[in-house]
Amino acid sequence: MIRGTVIGQVWAARKARGLEGQTLLLVAARDADGHATGRLVVASDTLDARAGEDVTVAFGSGARNVLRPGPDNRDLLCDAAIAAIVEGAG
Amino acid sequence: MFLGRVAGTVWSTVKWPEAKGLKLLLVRPYRLGDLPPGVATAGAGGGAASEPTDDLVVCADTLDAGPGDDVIVAFGHAARVAVSEKLPPGSKPMVPIDAAVVAVVDRVEIAR
Repeated sequence: MIRGTVIGQVWAARKARGLEGQTLLLVAARDADGHATGRLVVASDTLDARAGEDVTVAFGSGARNVLRPGPDNRDLLCDAAIAAIVEGAG
Repeated sequence: MFLGRVAGTVWSTVKWPEAKGLKLLLVRPYRLGDLPPGVATAGAGGGAASEPTDDLVVCADTLDAGPGDDVIVAFGHAARVAVSEKLPPGSKPMVPIDAAVVAVVDRVEIAR
């Protein structure tokens, strides 16, 4: 997983069927010191995260488990998802 | 997934049979410094931002994206799921790809 800050949202009408209904947020990754690394990630959001909020983003099967936990979620089209809204980090 | 701009196309004749017929694009990911503050309209001509600066990624494309389009690219199993949507029903996502265009971006809203 990575830690980052939500900086915006992306909209697309022409998309893969598996993306229908997903909210896609733009997340700027941060390093251990809290500085932006420059890397941007597009992540599915189910937690209603807002711009400016710090979040964690899970990748791969971890991301699918955010959308639908369980072993039968390999049909999902999701490789990155917001897994938590961060309140503090030390 | 990442947000990027289509920079070109890749052709190949010698490839894994399962990848036959798949269109391959070169996509350059946007980095934080490439995006201006505020609302941006994506796509050819309009431009979501200044030109992206990161290293190119080769992606399968089933959405007929072209150079100048801003797109979302998924990696790994999600990329194979996107490509397998275009295969006959019941097909398993066995194509030898690990990145695919999953959306052609209309609009990016940046709040910072």
